[in-house]
Amino acid sequence: MSEIRLQVQHLCKSFGITKAVQDVSFNVNKGEVHALIGENGSGKSTLTNMLTGIYTIDSGKFILDGKEVHPRNQVEANNEGISIIVQELGTLSGLTVAENIFLGHEEQFISHGIKNTRAMNRRANELLKQYDFSHIRAEDQIDDYNFEDRKFIEIIKATYFSPKIVVIDETTTALSQEGREELYKHMDRIRAEGNSVIFISHDLAEVLERSDTVTIMRDGVYIDTVKSSDVTEDDLKRLMVGRAVTGNYYRTDYGEKVSDEVVLSAKGVSVPGLIEDVSFDLHKGEILGFGGLSESGMHEVGKAVFGASYDRTGEVVLADGTEIDSIPTAIDHSIAYTSKDRDNESLVLNQSIEDNITLPSLRDLAKGPLQFLRDSALSAFAEKYATQMSVKMQGIEQFVSDLSGGNKQKVVLARWIGKDSDILVLDSPTRGIDIKVKQDIYQLMDRMRKQNKSVIMISEELMELIGMCDRILIMKDGKINGELTRSQELDENALIAKMV
Amino acid sequence: MDVRTQSTGKKKISSAIKGYLILCAMIFVSWLVFKILTPDNFGTFDNMLSYFQASLIASAGAVGFYLVIVMGMFDFSIGACIILSCIIGCKLAAAGMGYAGLVLGCLVTGGIVGILNGFFYIKLRIPSMIITTGLALVYEAVANILANGEGQTLPADLRLFGQMPGNIILALLTFFAAYAILNYTKIGTYTYAIGSNEFIAKNMGINVDRYKFLAFVISGVFFGIMSILTISYGSSIVAVTGMGSMSRNFIPTMGCFFGLAFKKYGIPIQSIVLGEFMVNIIFYGFVALGAPTAIQDVITGLALLIIVALTTKTAKGAIVK
Repeated sequence: MSEIRLQVQHLCKSFGITKAVQDVSFNVNKGEVHALIGENGSGKSTLTNMLTGIYTIDSGKFILDGKEVHPRNQVEANNEGISIIVQELGTLSGLTVAENIFLGHEEQFISHGIKNTRAMNRRANELLKQYDFSHIRAEDQIDDYNFEDRKFIEIIKATYFSPKIVVIDETTTALSQEGREELYKHMDRIRAEGNSVIFISHDLAEVLERSDTVTIMRDGVYIDTVKSSDVTEDDLKRLMVGRAVTGNYYRTDYGEKVSDEVVLSAKGVSVPGLIEDVSFDLHKGEILGFGGLSESGMHEVGKAVFGASYDRTGEVVLADGTEIDSIPTAIDHSIAYTSKDRDNESLVLNQSIEDNITLPSLRDLAKGPLQFLRDSALSAFAEKYATQMSVKMQGIEQFVSDLSGGNKQKVVLARWIGKDSDILVLDSPTRGIDIKVKQDIYQLMDRMRKQNKSVIMISEELMELIGMCDRILIMKDGKINGELTRSQELDENALIAKMV
Repeated sequence: MDVRTQSTGKKKISSAIKGYLILCAMIFVSWLVFKILTPDNFGTFDNMLSYFQASLIASAGAVGFYLVIVMGMFDFSIGACIILSCIIGCKLAAAGMGYAGLVLGCLVTGGIVGILNGFFYIKLRIPSMIITTGLALVYEAVANILANGEGQTLPADLRLFGQMPGNIILALLTFFAAYAILNYTKIGTYTYAIGSNEFIAKNMGINVDRYKFLAFVISGVFFGIMSILTISYGSSIVAVTGMGSMSRNFIPTMGCFFGLAFKKYGIPIQSIVLGEFMVNIIFYGFVALGAPTAIQDVITGLALLIIVALTTKTAKGAIVK
């Protein structure tokens, strides 16, 4: 029988009237990758945030190697042998790579109050070499590196001191395949050293492939712990959602003819260093997919269509000849956009759900010659579309920052549904989102298609592109490298062949 | 060696050199413009040395204030702090304590002002601009009471720090101290960490309130040094009320803006010093031209905004607050 590393005992945490974690108990063994899965808002991140000292515990306890631990911040958690790699960026601008790696642990380089920068850089460079990240230099400003490299730096930061438990919280969704492989390599290393990984991911195939054990949570409650080898993806879906997830996850229609009517055309669109001479037509009632590697330029296409791309050349025109060259023009002409970077580019986090949903529709909701806004009208509008999107919330006055990732995405979509947009540009609409919300979003896209609205779906998830799109344009090195049409025979290999 | 400036790689060195070149070019252009406009009474070597010495005064305060600015806070009590520190330093010096009274009076007063600013900011949890504006009125009133409405003059035999080499030595020690704090202590690292993302900094175990408080205290002490240089250089000071001290905020603040603009080149402290020098060249250039004060202020303000805007080069679409 495996030795127990971490015991989670009767853990509880509430935020106001919301019980985020209720009496959760389970064990994590030494030398295992222990996946923690559940829908958005199921309490996974709240639990690991308590373990790593970001949240305080209401009741219950964590016992690590037989000793109760209750860190008050990440440094105390590190000192107890616990670390975390978060989904979004966990490094700080304005500091060097070395300063980021040792942030909170500078004492080892300080003597009589003076920091030995040279020794800190030397140690960081040793670690970078040891982890095979020699292209990164300890002395450089962290801002000199891209998202993926900064994630690699976080891997070092979280693991260089051989912690007993490493929490990896939905990190893989933010990484390219290459980045994921790098992370997997380090997960395997941690396991081989006899330490443990708590692995949070919504990608169930990845969960089954990479973990030894899976604990499922739902609505803040512990559901079950199973061996990865004993279950299938469908079993996990059923445990997560509480019922069998029916087959119509993606669209089921094939062979339907897409309208010939073009609603939007991109002609020779270029953005220096990002995309080059991109041209395509979007048809009425069509779901047009853009796929490719993360840095292929596909995300910039979404911005370019929405008028949010700087230094853009070429044209984006609507059927009536209107040129889309700015965000206000795009919104005025019924174009909606959801960014891949939901928290920073799509939502006003420190505002309420109501404020976020009504934001682009204020002009429509204003009344009278002085364009007054009535509270009751705003609330009714927000309530209607939040309810339509089944946002899990205490009320529309709740701050968006308190919502889970999936519910934040629902708020973004509710905003544009409220605006009754005819063209939706959805960049990574299901990124970091659980299976149930994913299904809701796919069904919404299908409904919109049937209502003759047009959708551009940009995604790094090949299966959802294949499952949802009428056509898929594959981007490579900033250019369109191929077009694939919807069919039952289409598989991931056909897309990958055009991507790399 | 400064990790943000020299480090070990060619890239960092070239970045710092680029920053120095830009600053030197701006100084040269500022000098050249006024030298052409008024060749007889501006810009000789002696003139430039004099402008440089004058610029050291504000630079001494600005290098400490930089910590406060980087953390995302502000201080409207700079002028009031300097006036109060000068008056107390002057009084102690004149009361028979000599240089000890001058130095301790200014430093301790600056430190206490920093403590009060930091304490009220942390405890009241209201924006630093509001806190320091309110406290500036208090400091002005205290200075006025202490001075009894009279101008304070530093005894003539205690003006070592108002001329070379005393002022240069004190200023260099001050810059070295700021440089060391920023690059060789935890305070420097945490200053940037808090300025970058306070939430993550807190999660990293950094006692954010403590370091914000410390930033105000350090800034206050540096303004104390600025006060020593101010009273030694100007020899007398008059207490003011009704926010009359605000005009003294401008020059140290501009120096900090240079520091922020040139942080990307890894030379914040150096750019504060060179930036202040340029501000003084422009100021004395206008004086040499005999331009009215209002015109001087307008053109100086606009020139500095243009310079900082051009050097900052914010990426298109980037959010600026």
